[in-house]
Amino acid sequence: MNLKRTLRVETLLVALLVSVTTLVLMQILLNLHLAGHSLGDEILHINAASTQSANAVTSVVTYFRGLDTLGEVSILFLSIFGVALHMPRGSKNLFSYHNTLLYIGVSILFPLMLLFGVYVILHGHLSPGGGFQGGVIIAGAFLLRFLTYGDHYELKERVVSLSESLSGAGFIVLGLLGLLVGDRIFTQILPLGTLGELLSGGVIELIYIFVGLKVSAEISLLAEHFVKAHNV
Amino acid sequence: MIDFLILSILLSLLVASIMIVFSEDLSHSVITYMGFGLGSTLLYFLFSAPDVALTEAVIGAGISSTVYLVALLQTSVHES
Repeated sequence: MNLKRTLRVETLLVALLVSVTTLVLMQILLNLHLAGHSLGDEILHINAASTQSANAVTSVVTYFRGLDTLGEVSILFLSIFGVALHMPRGSKNLFSYHNTLLYIGVSILFPLMLLFGVYVILHGHLSPGGGFQGGVIIAGAFLLRFLTYGDHYELKERVVSLSESLSGAGFIVLGLLGLLVGDRIFTQILPLGTLGELLSGGVIELIYIFVGLKVSAEISLLAEHFVKAHNV
Repeated sequence: MIDFLILSILLSLLVASIMIVFSEDLSHSVITYMGFGLGSTLLYFLFSAPDVALTEAVIGAGISSTVYLVALLQTSVHES
């Protein structure tokens, strides 16, 4: 990088402006105290009674705003569909060199990342994280394998597409069951359990398992399509 | 103490973003972008948003930079 040649006075001025703005925003953010009764307080107040989920963010995502999550999941599905349509999977991996350091590191890291992803998905209603986060961690583990093993590693197409479509269908069926049994889509249809235990939160846990399966399958498929793309 | 930490992370993010834009080799930009994702992960965590930090750690530092790297390898266009 050659700063002397590329930097001009205008860019320096822009950089100065950006840094000053950042500092001012920081000052505002650090001194911000939200006063009074807000929507967040209200949600925290009714969360324990209606979901028995220790993580209020989770209950907002899956229970209070389940329909939005359905929209997000369908947007993700559409984007993967577009990638698969435009970039057909070739057999040649772009990263097909052998690197011993990467190989040993990934063979240690891969099972740990899988385990951590499953933990984050299953404990979505108790601790930070949830279906999307855990699914992305699992997909990252598979991405590391694609980068390491080169041509010798590929996903089983049938297993991935089956888990992706079944979990998507299960997610929607769960929402429609809420409409059928309860009063609205994505409402509680299961016993709530007690706050803080693994089997609590009712339908939240099931929704997050479905979302985690779907996201992990989709993002690993996306990574494989990118890494093994045909030469344009 | 925590204010100083946040301030230093923000400043390093600023430096990293300037390096991303102005570096001559695009692969250096991608590597710096990974570092930027790592810094913003720390920032999200310090602002008590661990959910977003978990996502940013994998998406920002891992998957999106791989996508950029693949695009770089496929097009093999370098700035002169």
